[in-house]
Amino acid sequence: MDLWIIGNKLGLLVYIILSVSILPKTGTPWDILAYLIYLCVNVTIPIFRNDARIQQLLSACSAVLVVYFAYRLDTSFVLLLPVNLYELVLLWEGRRRIALAISLIPLVMIPREELPVYILSTFLSFLLYTGLRLQMERLKRVDEERETLRLEMQNLSHLLNKNQEYIRQSEYTIKLEERNRLSQQIHDEVGHAMAGALIQMEASRTLLAANPDKSAELLGNAISISKEGLERIRLTLKDMKPRSEELGIHRLRLFADELSAKHALKATVTHEGNLDVITPMQWRIIHENATEAVTNSLKYGHASAIEIEVRVLNRMIRSSVSDNGIGARKIVKGLGIVGMEERAASVGGTVIVDGAHGFRVTTLLPNDKSE
Amino acid sequence: MNVLEIRNLTKKFGDFIAVDNMNLSVREGEIFGFLGANGAGKSTTINMISSLLRITKGEISLLGKNIVKENKFAKLNIGIVPQDLAIYEEMSAYENVSFFAGLYGLRGNLLKERAAEALEFVGLGDKHKDLPKNFSGGMKRRLNIACAIAHRPKLIIMDEPTVGIDPQSRNYILNSVRKLNEMGSSIIYTSHYMEEVEELCTRIAIVDHGKIIAEGTKEQLKSIITDTKEIWIGVKNEERLDIDALQRISGVISVQPEEQTVKIVSRGEVGNLNWIIQQLIKDGVEIGSVEEQAPNLETVFLTLTGRKLRD
Repeated sequence: MDLWIIGNKLGLLVYIILSVSILPKTGTPWDILAYLIYLCVNVTIPIFRNDARIQQLLSACSAVLVVYFAYRLDTSFVLLLPVNLYELVLLWEGRRRIALAISLIPLVMIPREELPVYILSTFLSFLLYTGLRLQMERLKRVDEERETLRLEMQNLSHLLNKNQEYIRQSEYTIKLEERNRLSQQIHDEVGHAMAGALIQMEASRTLLAANPDKSAELLGNAISISKEGLERIRLTLKDMKPRSEELGIHRLRLFADELSAKHALKATVTHEGNLDVITPMQWRIIHENATEAVTNSLKYGHASAIEIEVRVLNRMIRSSVSDNGIGARKIVKGLGIVGMEERAASVGGTVIVDGAHGFRVTTLLPNDKSE
Repeated sequence: MNVLEIRNLTKKFGDFIAVDNMNLSVREGEIFGFLGANGAGKSTTINMISSLLRITKGEISLLGKNIVKENKFAKLNIGIVPQDLAIYEEMSAYENVSFFAGLYGLRGNLLKERAAEALEFVGLGDKHKDLPKNFSGGMKRRLNIACAIAHRPKLIIMDEPTVGIDPQSRNYILNSVRKLNEMGSSIIYTSHYMEEVEELCTRIAIVDHGKIIAEGTKEQLKSIITDTKEIWIGVKNEERLDIDALQRISGVISVQPEEQTVKIVSRGEVGNLNWIIQQLIKDGVEIGSVEEQAPNLETVFLTLTGRKLRD
């Protein structure tokens, strides 16, 4: 930018020097002094790049000098005026057209023969500055965009990490819960049975010689208690499915109950298919999307009933939230919908929003049975 | 090699998003079906492929070349059969075809030859001098097709070519789609007639609200919903059912006798109806009715979107 301005000034200055010194009239030492002063002032401007005020001052100085020189020495100096004015405008972040207008004022004062050259110089400078300005603005915009994208990426990767952490955590939690449940059950059911059987057997040993009949009866009790215990062990092991699906659907039910209680509407949850295949991550997405969709329904839908449905299909999991409200003929994607889409996309799914009959948000997630 | 490759395609009309970040590829030699309700974004996508609409975001490439940058190449290699008839009623059938073939870049003898060929292909060879205003709806449709194929494009796009025509013309068109495919053109076929798509297409994409929600062969699409089929058999004397024997038939997953009927759930790909019926006859069961319920594309669409194709 600075280089462009210097180049512009230099070009004009050389033109003036040429027209003043080499053409018919010869330059006086005053002319040369004027060139040097002008050069000095204008070379100083870029040096103070860090202080806009000094730059403005110098630029204004230069403009005054130019006018003074034009008045005292040679009218050609006025050609340098527009550049200075643009520079000033640029430093003040003002409007280009104002500068153009100001730089056209001297038109009335300068001699006729200089007019075309002055106008040419003014408009050339105007063009140059406009171009430069636009370019700069574009650069700035691109820069800002890059920055926001970077931030967004950072956020996303942060989110990803969090989600991965969440998966790890919930797997761990499930294992822990399962272990607790197992040990509790073994203690409660199997442990008691075994202890009972042991007591009966010990009593039977004591009575073995004295009362064989009683002893046999006690032994029989012990056997039946042991059998029962064995059966309980079998049942406990058979019943060892993880309960994560219950957590998931329970949470949705709870959510629906809360909705019905707090607002004037009826919320229901239905499900179909084997909920076991839904991973904790998927449950989380289903739940978050349902919350978001319900918020939308409450805000805009004027609905009196909301239905949340989770269906496990062969290769997909479909969860939908539909209301009986006014719907929307034209759907404008807000942050909420984009958020739902992003969540679904993170596990390879999609979201369909339909406003034809009430509002319905359907989240489709892939069902990878291999996991 | 992919004939058509669509990447992150988006089309907005103001705030309304007609096509939403669509990704799709059509392989060489495919009849690719585009299934969706009215207003799902099928025609918008097709209009973008045929450069009738500007792309808001994303990229479409035909045979590896970007259709926006190499527009001429794209035009020469795509033939479009638009949804609304695009023929001149006051020009003869032959003139219509040669006019469109000329637009696609054919000249001279080649143009005459190909135009006559195309008319022959759609069965209008003997009507080449007649004016389309005297044609039936089906004949107009066929002429519309002839106009799109005279220049032998690599990719033919047919946007609802069977809307509002008689069954005979419809069969004719379906057969010619197959023939065109055999002759080496890849075809994109859109319709909301599920049966047509199911019968014709090698691969299908289900589109809703501008998004592709599922894609694959019809078997793959059906298996999204379920791998099983249900066979309902109405029986008069259910006490004679030998459930264990039925359960041993290959493919059978479960047998549930109910009042006057027995419901058999079986793996979808196994054809075991014969065996089941044989077993029932052997046991002396009197069969009243047999009904097999396997998912079709309509059910797939309904289950995934919660709507019917023709809502």
